[in-house]
Amino acid sequence: MLAISCEQNSNSIVVYTTVDQVFSEPVLKEFEKKTGIKVKAVYDTEETKSTGILNRLIAEKDNPQCDVFWSGDPLRTAVLKNKNILYPYTSKAAKGIDNVFKDKDNFWTGFSARARVLIYNKKLLKDNDVPQSVFDLTDEKYKAKVAIANPLFGTTTFHLAALFSVIGDERAKSFLENLKANDLVIASSNGDVKRRVVKGEVYCGLTDTDDANEAIKEGANIGVVFLDQKGIGSLIMPNTVSLIKKAKISDNAKKLFDYLLSEDTEIALAKSCAQMPLHNGVKLPDGVLSLDNIKPMNIDYNKTAGKLESIQEYLKAWVERK
Amino acid sequence: MIISHNKSISSNLLYTIVLLPVLLLLVLPVLNIVVLTFFGTNFPESIASINRDLFLLLLKSLAVSGIVALISTFIGIVLGFSLYKSDIKYRNVFRLLILIPLFISPYILAVAWKDISVLIFDYNTSIFEKTYSFFGMILVHSTIYSPLSILIIGSALSNISKQMEESALLMGSFKDMFFKILLPLIRPSIITSFVLILIFSISEFSVPAFLGFRVFTTEIFTQFSAFYNHNLAMLQSLLLIFICVILLVSERKRISDSVFLSIGTRGREVKLYSSKKIVVFSYIILSFAVVFTVFIPVSILVYQSFKTGTSKFMEAIFLLLPTIGNSVLLAVIGSIISVFIGFVAAYYSEILNKKLMNMMLLVLFAIPSTIFGIALIKFYNNSLLNFIYSSFGILIIGYVGKYSFISAKLIGNSIKQMPKSMEEAAVIQWIGFFKRIQKIVIPLVLPAIFASFIINFLFCFGDLGTSIMVYPPGTEIMPIKVFTIMANATESLTSSMALIVFLVTILLVSLLFFIFKKIIAKYNVNY
Amino acid sequence: MSIIKLINISHWYSENRVLDNLNLEIEKNKITYILGSSGSGKTTILRLIAGLEVPDKGEIYIQNLKASVANKIIVAPGKRQLGYIFQDLALWPHLTVYENIAFGLKNMNKSEVEGEVKGILSLFGLNGSLQKFPHQLSGGQQQMVAIARALALKPKILLMDEPLASLDVKSKRKILDYIVSIKEKYNLTIVYVTHDHLEAFAIADNIVVINEGKIQESGTAVEIKNSTNDFVKYFIEW
Repeated sequence: MLAISCEQNSNSIVVYTTVDQVFSEPVLKEFEKKTGIKVKAVYDTEETKSTGILNRLIAEKDNPQCDVFWSGDPLRTAVLKNKNILYPYTSKAAKGIDNVFKDKDNFWTGFSARARVLIYNKKLLKDNDVPQSVFDLTDEKYKAKVAIANPLFGTTTFHLAALFSVIGDERAKSFLENLKANDLVIASSNGDVKRRVVKGEVYCGLTDTDDANEAIKEGANIGVVFLDQKGIGSLIMPNTVSLIKKAKISDNAKKLFDYLLSEDTEIALAKSCAQMPLHNGVKLPDGVLSLDNIKPMNIDYNKTAGKLESIQEYLKAWVERK
Repeated sequence: MIISHNKSISSNLLYTIVLLPVLLLLVLPVLNIVVLTFFGTNFPESIASINRDLFLLLLKSLAVSGIVALISTFIGIVLGFSLYKSDIKYRNVFRLLILIPLFISPYILAVAWKDISVLIFDYNTSIFEKTYSFFGMILVHSTIYSPLSILIIGSALSNISKQMEESALLMGSFKDMFFKILLPLIRPSIITSFVLILIFSISEFSVPAFLGFRVFTTEIFTQFSAFYNHNLAMLQSLLLIFICVILLVSERKRISDSVFLSIGTRGREVKLYSSKKIVVFSYIILSFAVVFTVFIPVSILVYQSFKTGTSKFMEAIFLLLPTIGNSVLLAVIGSIISVFIGFVAAYYSEILNKKLMNMMLLVLFAIPSTIFGIALIKFYNNSLLNFIYSSFGILIIGYVGKYSFISAKLIGNSIKQMPKSMEEAAVIQWIGFFKRIQKIVIPLVLPAIFASFIINFLFCFGDLGTSIMVYPPGTEIMPIKVFTIMANATESLTSSMALIVFLVTILLVSLLFFIFKKIIAKYNVNY
Repeated sequence: MSIIKLINISHWYSENRVLDNLNLEIEKNKITYILGSSGSGKTTILRLIAGLEVPDKGEIYIQNLKASVANKIIVAPGKRQLGYIFQDLALWPHLTVYENIAFGLKNMNKSEVEGEVKGILSLFGLNGSLQKFPHQLSGGQQQMVAIARALALKPKILLMDEPLASLDVKSKRKILDYIVSIKEKYNLTIVYVTHDHLEAFAIADNIVVINEGKIQESGTAVEIKNSTNDFVKYFIEW
């Protein structure tokens, strides 16, 4: 048994993904079935906040093991781009995807997107009281009853970085200060936000569409709101796929790259975790929101990634302040 | 004092044979990353950011973990006495049950207790939110680490010769005997328990992270995972390692100063107290502990697993079944090697005063697991060593590096208690080094060897921190699968997986207990 | 004729000097008692003779061979042809009486070992205890096993570190008689350490009284009884 992993299988490919195994594994299995290429995956965990893989990629830089990196959001991918770990590639399969969702230097390409949403406990909040804008959360009536995940990790980082780049540092900081003054609850992860809302520890919280979807599937009595539809819009977070820079970029890696960008993948992810396809005109299963129905936050994904680095120290101090 | 007869060629040979791979395979990767840190380009910035706040944070972590260590050691004394010194029935069942928190992942326990607390307390107050993280951390850590304390203190208690206690009982009350004789006699084990748990608690990361409680490890983690600042994370880790080493060195000093008890050669009888008061007290306290640390969390898991029927449980079985074989095999190999290395390190440190290997194992143990993972990657991930890095070998190296110290510690305490004359009697008879080790020393410390095997097995089997950094692509081991699936799974699936891990572990540990009991009976070590 | 010679031996335990420039000769085929109170350094003398300790100063000769010099063991303990009865007897608790004795027997096949062990145990009347473990024996029987174990290797010298301290007078007497008889039978030299002068007077050929690492007096029982040395007079008063 120990020998299995030693054997170098030429018809195989190594992929690292920060996308939850429940959703990513079926897609990769499908790829195996269609192409006969064995996919060796490294998944990540909630406990290590999707950083195991990133740190691993950074540490492995001099002798990369990984061929394809599939990320749940473009922000971490940008970190790798800055550290010179990625390899540019333009896939034909990306034709139908808007350029907004692609790196200008082709280091990553976006596909299926999630959105940041507000979920609320239907038992605790009446329809009229449900916040419709992220800025409502500083209202006295939600004091100590709003949760967000630790913004140093995961998609919450992205959300705040986007907010900073849309409304400017000054307004964003004063907004965060007000949230803190309103006894905002900082949960350990988006999953933890979901758990707290479902259990009624808080009225509402910010999380991702897939978490919201999962809670609803479990029969939780929660509602989902796309915030700021009359204002700055909701943050759309595409998955991204990148090639890792190594001596020889295999054709298999490109095959998987193309496969992940295909409409098939987008439909599969739409079904399994309600992700919104980025290809125009993909036929959606019932109940899955399409990008056409929501107003997206207007951001430049490249710039937002840069924003992160300048606000991180501030965010850390903000989290740690009592 | 160095005993001359042991400076034989074969004894040096064994030490070298074990020391070399420990140095080359485990210590070198860490040295490598330390050097990289100190010569890294952003070293000046990193050193500048080690400031007063960081030290305050370190103090806070020490204080919190100190409380955990105090509570756990106190529990260890009370439950250790009830379990090992009172004349109760079903002793072995209780012994096994009381160990159970060691099998459950800290993270899962944290979640279970959170759910329970939310049910019991009024969470509609911000006081709950603000104090929960502190009390939650202490509660969960104390629950996890008390079994270690019970093991350490219990074994010391059962090494005290009957006469010590009986002569004291003739002169005074039970209370006098307990406080003035028994406790001082087991002082070394109390100190060991306190220090070990302090170190465990201060290096544990998942519980404070889940509870949002800022401690030193979460700070390291933040540097590592939010800022990708490997240098600073490494530097902070060095600080933590330094603290741990100081703690253990001072523990050694205190222990070597104190009187040691010997395994009696004229037969050892353990005094068991059968007075009704003590027995009833023991039953109550043990049952309470079992209900509190086992029954409640497990019930929560069972409830959450099955509240929507059995389908999620079946799904969890289906998901985890392919991983069990790998995980068990790896953990068994890892623990066998750890126990072997631990034994050698302990023997040379205790008997021959060669402390280098023991010290190295201690440092490895004190390194935060993610940092250790990075060290392994930086060292093994190259074309030369790729055959290790891309195989399960890297996981074994991770386990052995991380946990051999536990074996060294437990076996070392046992070797210390072995009378020197046991081995000297064989030296006089011109019995060679290896035969002495094999026929005299090992049988005499066999219970400690088995205990450390089981504990090592539990740690390897549940390891996540280092494994997640290095597990070979495309392979599956149980803890990683549980946690990667857990990320977005339903509560019932998560609980089902935790439950299955728990059941598998308890099954394996029972099996190990059973096998070891047979072997021990064969060796007649229960003299 | 002396079989053991200690020349200018000094020995420290960390800061404490336990033996101070000690010179001692042990006569062949005699029972020599080393008499002293606890902490006098008498056990250290045995351990040095056995090679379990390295002298810090001086030389030790055994059967005219240089066995130890300062900070160095020349003849390994196992090669000194001696048996050692430890104060705690050091019977291996996980081995049966039979195994305890057979353990040190080398270069023999199974039946030879069996003959040897049974032979020596019958001498001590322990034939019925072959398969028992040490803790299943009485204190006196345990002494016998320890002595039998030492004699099984046919040593020239038997070192005994106060092994009878915890026995009743009758058992003690019985074992002392054995010791005298085995000395004759095996041509043994016995060095016996104790604080019990009556025991020494009863069977010793020679007695050495030591205090604080120095020899106070040596001689036969009669000579010791008539000693004018203050410490000796004080020590044997009772």
